[in-house]
Amino acid sequence: MNLQHSVMSNVLRPYLAAVRSTLTAALTLENFSSQVVERHNKPEVEAGTSKEVLLNPLTISRNENERVFIEPSINSIRLSIKIKQADEIERILCNKFTRFMMQRAESFIVLRRKPVPGYDISFLITNTHTETMLKHKIVDFIIQFMEEVDKEISEMKLSLNARARIVAESYLTAIQG
Amino acid sequence: MILLEPHNVIIQTTILEKLQKPGSLDVVFVDYDNVRFHLSTPERKTQLLLSMNIRCWDELVQYGALDVLRREYGSLLASKVEPEYNVSLEIDLEQAPSDPEAREAFVESLALLKRNALSAPFERGFETQKQLESSGGQGELMQVHYRDEEAMYIQAAPDRVTVIFSTVFREETDRIFGKVFLQEFVDARRQPSIQNAPQVLYSSRDPPLEIRHVPGLRNSEEIGYVTFVLFPRHFTKSVAPATISHIQLFRDYLHYHIKCSKAYMHSRMRYRVTEFQKVLNRAKTEVATTERKTASGRTMVSR
Repeated sequence: MNLQHSVMSNVLRPYLAAVRSTLTAALTLENFSSQVVERHNKPEVEAGTSKEVLLNPLTISRNENERVFIEPSINSIRLSIKIKQADEIERILCNKFTRFMMQRAESFIVLRRKPVPGYDISFLITNTHTETMLKHKIVDFIIQFMEEVDKEISEMKLSLNARARIVAESYLTAIQG
Repeated sequence: MILLEPHNVIIQTTILEKLQKPGSLDVVFVDYDNVRFHLSTPERKTQLLLSMNIRCWDELVQYGALDVLRREYGSLLASKVEPEYNVSLEIDLEQAPSDPEAREAFVESLALLKRNALSAPFERGFETQKQLESSGGQGELMQVHYRDEEAMYIQAAPDRVTVIFSTVFREETDRIFGKVFLQEFVDARRQPSIQNAPQVLYSSRDPPLEIRHVPGLRNSEEIGYVTFVLFPRHFTKSVAPATISHIQLFRDYLHYHIKCSKAYMHSRMRYRVTEFQKVLNRAKTEVATTERKTASGRTMVSR
């Protein structure tokens, strides 16, 4: 178990390291007013009105089911995560968890209320966020989220299975005659 | 509390209380499967009237519920049933047994009213199986529609009694959780300690062969069928009452634990999300919150 665990985190580590360095590099944001509408100042990655301020989007894949999509622009960056879902149960648990979190998006300042299509959860970091918050700590938060969300989902699944087993056993013990 | 109790706690506590201190009473309450109870003192304080409304009463009567209730409650069974209810019991508190143990047993049996009414088709099934042992053939398929969309089917065969439950999972999460639970029911029998338990079969969508000819079965994703195969060893005279109590609560037991798991997941998510929140809060830069005052001592407030 222990060995397996360390092997797993060894596979996970380069993936997270790649996300961390890419995100840190992409988080060079500056204030930028809209070129199209006067006195507007919007995250360009969301507005998408001027093509020249959008940078090349980038995908970091761990495998076909797990990947991170980073879309940088001059004043904002959008990061979307596809979380591992091996089966029906993991899918429903992941869905519940991300939904639960996104409903509380206003307290998670950098969280987007809806994920980008094809992903489970998205974050939107603007220049205001990097000015009022510590940049490396924002990166830490996202990396920690990625680390723990998988763990949480598999633990929830284990606890569901354990409960089901106890429930079935105690019922059948009671009626075995 | 892992297993559900077959008796109704409200009946039990209320009657025990009234046995000690009689008083006028008029309470309406419910039990699983939309069963409604009405406990009142229409004439005097020591004369209780306990009425029950159960959705599948007509079917239960057809399978001999009145005989079972007469056997259990004897003269308590009221000849005139309260309007809007299916069955009434008249309980004279003055005639209740005075011996504490007998009294407890008496109240317990009153609290089992719903269980006793629902046990009729099971008892009939068990009896039919005994008769069929010599004659062979198949018993009648007894249907009990105890909820709006869900039913139990009981059929006796020469060597066994089959009990089939249909159950509806209203949302996708319930359906998937239900599948996990039912799979464990199917797998649990592999354990040596419970090898003697009844065989459990589970099918989603397609009804089992025994009831496929029954009209009005729905064929949708959200419906599931659970079959229990009871052999004579599960309903010998000594264990039959316990088996009936547990089997008839199967659907409630399953759904109760699905709800519990969902509640547990929710509290877990709540905890995890506050943890994430703490991590993000570390990113916020401290804003200086020292009070700023003028020379004369007035506080500066930003607006």
